[in-house]
Amino acid sequence: MKSLPLIIFAITALAQWAVPLSQIWTYEGVLTKGTLIRVKCAAPDPYDPLRGRYLAVRPEQTNVPLPEGMEAPEEQMGYVSLTTGADGLATLSSLSFTKPASGDYLHVRVHSSYDKQASIDWPFERYYLNEELAPEADEWFAENIRNTKGIIAEVKVLNGKAVLADLTLDGKPFREILKDRVK
Amino acid sequence: MSAPNHRWLHTQLPEWEREGLITAENAVKLRQRHPHDDSGPGIAQVAMGVLGALLIGVGLIAIIGYNWDHFNRPVRLMFAFAPLLGAQAASWWALKQGDACARWIRETAAFFQAMAAGACIAIVSQIYNLGGDWPQFVLAWALLSLPLAWLMRSYGVVIFYLVCITVWSLRDDVRHPVWYESARAYPLLLLGLFPFWPGWKFDKPLSTTLRWAIALSASMGLAAAAYQMIEHPWSDFEAVVWLWSLTAAAMILLPISEAAIHAPTRSKPQVVLGFLYLLPLGVIGTSLSAGHETIEAISIAGKLSWTWVLIIVTGAFAVHAILRRRWAVLSVASLAVTPALALAAGENAPHVVPWLMLVHLSLIGLALIALEFLDRKGAPRLGAALLSVLIMARLFDSDLSLLLKGLAFILVGVAFLVFNIVLSRHHKKQKEKVS
Repeated sequence: MKSLPLIIFAITALAQWAVPLSQIWTYEGVLTKGTLIRVKCAAPDPYDPLRGRYLAVRPEQTNVPLPEGMEAPEEQMGYVSLTTGADGLATLSSLSFTKPASGDYLHVRVHSSYDKQASIDWPFERYYLNEELAPEADEWFAENIRNTKGIIAEVKVLNGKAVLADLTLDGKPFREILKDRVK
Repeated sequence: MSAPNHRWLHTQLPEWEREGLITAENAVKLRQRHPHDDSGPGIAQVAMGVLGALLIGVGLIAIIGYNWDHFNRPVRLMFAFAPLLGAQAASWWALKQGDACARWIRETAAFFQAMAAGACIAIVSQIYNLGGDWPQFVLAWALLSLPLAWLMRSYGVVIFYLVCITVWSLRDDVRHPVWYESARAYPLLLLGLFPFWPGWKFDKPLSTTLRWAIALSASMGLAAAAYQMIEHPWSDFEAVVWLWSLTAAAMILLPISEAAIHAPTRSKPQVVLGFLYLLPLGVIGTSLSAGHETIEAISIAGKLSWTWVLIIVTGAFAVHAILRRRWAVLSVASLAVTPALALAAGENAPHVVPWLMLVHLSLIGLALIALEFLDRKGAPRLGAALLSVLIMARLFDSDLSLLLKGLAFILVGVAFLVFNIVLSRHHKKQKEKVS
């Protein structure tokens, strides 16, 4: 019985490793094997006390059309299919509560439905930044958010999961633009 | 007597012996009756250890917050796991030492490990720009820390776990369809701390601070759970309130050891919090307009399985309380079920509820006064205050003119003051008798 606490401790220690490792496994998979989609963004916002400075990334489209006769139950998880348009930007094309058999899709929380549209939460919303670049990033984001081309979020998507890989303007990566501005 | 009182007594005994106030034999008996273990570390030493671990944890989080842009992903991930590995090694060492390890070191190692586990998850989610679903993060962090509370007997981790599960349960007022995503999972989460429950046979009694932390968390978490049990909590809020009453009754009646029964009330926070909820609610229940809402609440809540779980648990606790002759707590806890007795009156039930509550509370008030004059342990001033509040509540509810209400208030005030004088004289006479 004296070894029981040590066994429980070992299991606890393993679990404390397993949780972040499983996240790394999942999201590394998305980054390496996922499909790249581009989404147009709206307004910024600045800080998470636990994880540091970030830009709140809010894709413009938050509503998805409901299929004829479907009423989306509130606060449920569902799947939204993604369609890429001629401009290279992805849009949410349909909602279902079963996993789509093909194509790119996201696993999302459905908030509410109104007027044959369901409101969803995107599975990404933050782009974390180095503290020194953050003030410059705030300024850059505010200057460019109303630019007609807009700020584009580059997202890797695989099996319903998504990782926000980068933000771009005119095809130029966000970090490069910031580093140029800081110089 | 609490631990600080024991400590004080032990410092006084040698002096009393020297002054001849007590014999050496009496001093030994007093030491045996009120033992004080001063071999362990002081609370300050433990607090400093926990504070140190907390500062290191906060420091780690701040470093994570800086976001080391010039390091690549694998290096940044190493930053996440290195403190966790160090903390786990320290805890492993402390655990292997067993009782030989100082308590403050155990506390510090356990708390630091809990902080490092959270920091590790935070840095990973930062690296992959994961969303801000903080309730899930808080819950995962709490669950990964819980075994440290069992193994290391760490009060710091227990309080941290309680804060996390309470915040998680109270996070919003939207009813989640899935039970384990909502406060409905709180009772299970609280069960996770079973060895730390008040009254549990522990090597040392739990500190009053820890008892308060557990009781406060339980009252808020179980209240949130009750709220989430009802399908439309906003429109059926009366039913939520009745479920809260049953929860308060169960908390008041929670079985405790014989020694804990005789301990001061402040060391039984579950009783204090239960009284603070049930007594004012009971007074509100005497309002003539409250009957319809109460009966409707009972009929809505009666259809829920959670209500029956609470009734069965409260009933079992009540049997235990009867066997232990805990009449005071039984009299107040039963306020939660008194409105249900009105159902026997059929259609007239809504009219009967306020009168039942009035009779029940009046009996409690009178009993608290009478016990004192029968040389039993009572609470006469509380009894008098309860009766005064009842009279004032009934007057507010009446159609009497403001003039009459004002005169009645003055009369009650005078009666209260006279009673206070009579009581003081009674106490003085009793003291004279004893001396």
